[in-house]
Amino acid sequence: MAEAVRAETAAPEAFSRAVAGAEPGRVLGLVGPPGSGLTRLGLSLLADSARRGPVAVVDVRGWLCPPAAWEAGVPPERLVVVRCAARDLWGRVTAALLEGLPAVYAEVPAGANEAVLRRLGALARARRAVLILRPLRGDLPSGLAHLNLVGEAVRWEGAGPGHGRLTRRWLTLRAAGRGVGGIDRVLEVVDDGTDALRVVSRLAAAPAGRVAG
Amino acid sequence: MWFPDWRLRRPDASPDEPCQVVGDGVVLAANSLARAAGVAVGMRRRQAETLCPAVATLAADSGAEAAAFEAVAVAVEDLVPRVEVVAPGLLFVPVAGAVGYYGGEGPLVALVAEAVEAAGGPGARLGLAHGPFAARLAAESTAAGPAIVADTRAFLASLEVAVLGREEMAATLRWLGITTLGALAALPREAVASRFGPAGLEAHRLASGEDRRVQPRPLPEDLVVEERFDPPLEDLEQAAFAARSLAHRLVEGLGPWGGAPYRVVVEAESASGVLRSRTWRSADPFGEAEVAERVRWQLRAWVESGGVPGGLAVLRLAPADRSDRGRQLHLGDDAASELEAARALARAQALVGPEAVLAARPQGGRRPGERVLWHRWGDPAPAPERDPRAPWPGHLPGPSPALVPPEPRLLEVEWDEGSPERVRLGSRWEPVLAWAGPWRHTRRWWAGEGAADRYQVVTSAGAFLFEVRDGACYLAGVYD
Repeated sequence: MAEAVRAETAAPEAFSRAVAGAEPGRVLGLVGPPGSGLTRLGLSLLADSARRGPVAVVDVRGWLCPPAAWEAGVPPERLVVVRCAARDLWGRVTAALLEGLPAVYAEVPAGANEAVLRRLGALARARRAVLILRPLRGDLPSGLAHLNLVGEAVRWEGAGPGHGRLTRRWLTLRAAGRGVGGIDRVLEVVDDGTDALRVVSRLAAAPAGRVAG
Repeated sequence: MWFPDWRLRRPDASPDEPCQVVGDGVVLAANSLARAAGVAVGMRRRQAETLCPAVATLAADSGAEAAAFEAVAVAVEDLVPRVEVVAPGLLFVPVAGAVGYYGGEGPLVALVAEAVEAAGGPGARLGLAHGPFAARLAAESTAAGPAIVADTRAFLASLEVAVLGREEMAATLRWLGITTLGALAALPREAVASRFGPAGLEAHRLASGEDRRVQPRPLPEDLVVEERFDPPLEDLEQAAFAARSLAHRLVEGLGPWGGAPYRVVVEAESASGVLRSRTWRSADPFGEAEVAERVRWQLRAWVESGGVPGGLAVLRLAPADRSDRGRQLHLGDDAASELEAARALARAQALVGPEAVLAARPQGGRRPGERVLWHRWGDPAPAPERDPRAPWPGHLPGPSPALVPPEPRLLEVEWDEGSPERVRLGSRWEPVLAWAGPWRHTRRWWAGEGAADRYQVVTSAGAFLFEVRDGACYLAGVYD
């Protein structure tokens, strides 16, 4: 269906330029199930901020694998992983990191308090830090994120029936929120394992009740 | 070089009666008679007129003031190049080279004073110090004759914290018993930065006589914006309109780089090939409106002095001295921001424990998890046990899975003649769309450990890394 609604596009452009989400003082939401490619997307969005100082990942499950961040362009000496499984501590830890770091990628534990999330958003704006939130279950409260990227579909290249290897991922994302002027857009992002994600096409938003992908 | 009463230098301002210049309902300048009656700069117009009912009120016309000031800028520029105009009546002159050329600070200042008086009349105040901030204060501090400051730090030390122009910070500093710039400069910079943030850091630098660093980072040349006009623009209003869109492009172009410029070089080329250039400086970084306004003033000054014969063919804006505002400070640039980051991480350590705040370094290994050497943040990074540059045959090719469970998790997979057919993810079975592998990892067979085979498996829900060993299948990574 993605092909059916594909819009004419020019040359691929850098993801960070096409999607103005991870800017100082902005909150970016990444919503989708595990496997939809959003962790790597979030890590790659830290890479810009990592040029200005250390960046942190709040790892709720303890599953984060730093080589993915290094491949996405975050230098090893600039990445700090904070493991925090306790929901009551999560908000305070994330707030402490936002006080001094230019960017924080935080997995949001299931059942996180909405008021805590909104306070973190306000803190990120006040400190002009980038806050990327990746809820492990469900959505983020409405209006919290400047831009919400929802993983709609993922497609891999390189692996066949018993041969090859995973080389390139095509990720269909629905962008929503103030960052896209309140009008939903569907983007297709290609990730070939290097530190440059590229938007290869901007798809027209699918009509209500249908899903592109 | 500062003319305190430049706004009052206009034909309709009479020196013999109280007079004030008003813009946006606020008094911008007042002559000595008006000031004697209680009128002060910054006062509301209504209040000023209540205090001094006889005051003559003139509307500010910054364009005309700038046009008149152009003659002074040109006169100074004849002596010293690269003059920077801040506002009509105030300009900065970089004198480092000129001091040697003219044989010392005294002769140079005397020459500039003479040129300024010839072009703009008496009343200019000249201050010479290290950096624009101190030079401006030196010019303000002198009533007659130029003020040449030999020791900028000592000169600033006696001044009130109010001269920083940040009333809220000054009030807090006074409350803390810090009333002078000297007392502020004596505080540790990290402590000031920690209490007041970037604004405090800047204030501490100014108080220490360091001023803002010039050109903290080089700007790429492609941030210069220009517009060509064919046919050339004859009308000032049209040019001002073009200036607005150029200013928008300039500020927009700087957006991804963070911050705004402290200086903008305005260049105009006339149809007959005459090239004009003027640098505008601001104590605060320029925004779009401010840039457009300065360009409009400058164009008017050039047009009224006949500086663009044949019309305006090219208008070019180049930013310089990008500000730190609007972005976090560079870690490597600034010890204070490094300290802030360290404090933030130390607070996180206090909350979750030192074992949960981790840094990682690459090391060699075949499994994704083996290729990471974790250590506590703040501790020195240990030397890798396995060489990350060694080939490691059997290791998985990139990209790496973003998520790796700390311990491999049992996974249900249906096989058909050695090929994975379906995999159970949560409560549902997902068909395998494609798979690659296996990559065999021969383990310590002499210790009875069997080989492990790893597979990359693609489903409609994403790609996963499986490991098959001892007859069971485990989840070893998620390509999230």
